[in-house]
Amino acid sequence: MGIMGLALAWETRIPALAQRERRVEPFRGHVAAPDAAEAGRAKDTVLAAACQSGDLRAYERLYSLHGARMKNLARNILGSSTDAEDAVQETFLKVQRGIASFRGQSSFVTWTFRILVNTCYDVRRSRLRKKEVAADDEQHRDDAAPRSEPRAPVAHPSLRLALERALAKLTRHQRDVFLLYEVEGFRHAEISSMLEISQAASKNTLFQAKKNLRRMLEPPGGSYAAGAR
Amino acid sequence: MNVTCKDRDRIFEDGTAAEWAALEGHAANCASCAEGLRSWKSLSLAAAQLRDYMDSPALWPRIHQALTEQAPAIQAGRERWSWRSVFRNLSLSWQTAAATAFVAVLMISAGWLLRPNKPPVLQGSFLKSKALTEVEHAESAYVQAIDKLAADAKPQLDNPAIPLMGNYREKLLVLDSAIDDLHVQTGQNPSNAHLRYELLAMYQEKQRTLEEILEEKR
Repeated sequence: MGIMGLALAWETRIPALAQRERRVEPFRGHVAAPDAAEAGRAKDTVLAAACQSGDLRAYERLYSLHGARMKNLARNILGSSTDAEDAVQETFLKVQRGIASFRGQSSFVTWTFRILVNTCYDVRRSRLRKKEVAADDEQHRDDAAPRSEPRAPVAHPSLRLALERALAKLTRHQRDVFLLYEVEGFRHAEISSMLEISQAASKNTLFQAKKNLRRMLEPPGGSYAAGAR
Repeated sequence: MNVTCKDRDRIFEDGTAAEWAALEGHAANCASCAEGLRSWKSLSLAAAQLRDYMDSPALWPRIHQALTEQAPAIQAGRERWSWRSVFRNLSLSWQTAAATAFVAVLMISAGWLLRPNKPPVLQGSFLKSKALTEVEHAESAYVQAIDKLAADAKPQLDNPAIPLMGNYREKLLVLDSAIDDLHVQTGQNPSNAHLRYELLAMYQEKQRTLEEILEEKR
């Protein structure tokens, strides 16, 4: 698989990560104080109203607040910066076209990210259609996998590459939930709204995704794999 | 709170804060769970490698340009479908009320168009009180005029030397009888315009008959 050298345990191999502040999972849903959450909702409503009025500065504000995160999510789904930028642009155009139908059932940002995720998969499908039909299944798998592109330098490029490859092998939902929760830091309540699934399904999907990723990234007979089950 | 190795996956999936704390405590004495916990958390830490929030200076100008180009088409579309957006902006209860009213109007219209044909006698045959008063005034004046005509014709009618007058007398008796019957009916149903028209026709016939009698006299 080419990732044997990345065998867990991570913390012994990635000291920089081990020293960082850990996000303890059960507390993530309660991080925001009630006042901060209320203020966030109010800002979200104001931003949505401004976009509904057709004010392009509101879209610029949306971009300045979430554009980088949108592009990062799109790049992790599509594996290409160019495609990611196209997807983000298309998302903004869809938001502008559909803002009149936004009724505030979910937050505006959540709604925008839902459009982004759907747009990414539209781009992905259209990219696959454009390619020549591969002769065998192996070729198909390579097409579906994200393309490697130069990205910002990180502490562990090989780990990132391994994660990208492992993510490409997850189901769409598992990949989406992992990226939204672990990479972009959304809460299960937000993810459930984005992907139109229940919070319990979001939690279960994340669990399955992480279990699969751990299995793919761990060396055969790794300490945890050997010890567990 | 006591947790065992069997609880580990459930806590990984949807554990409470207390359960996570208990699992940490358990892992201190369980090598398998300690390794499992560490590798689980390491995945979250490793996910940071996928964060690349580098600025793309050319992206916003590109999006802005596209939004600017699309805006007029959207504005035109909104104006074209403004009635639809008005409906959408109503609350659910108002939408329901509007839909109910629309259905009611539709049903009433359909009922009106598909109603069974009534006999022509009843169609528009009822006079309102003001119209009835005017009709009665006109009828009274008409009757007085005909009575004057009858008074003029009376000597001629009573002349036995002219046999034709006998026929006219009989005709006038029939007309008067019909007029009396219609008076009885209009007395019972004064707003029935159809009866009034029949009565008028009888008076007109009586007027023509009296005029013929007077013509004979000349």
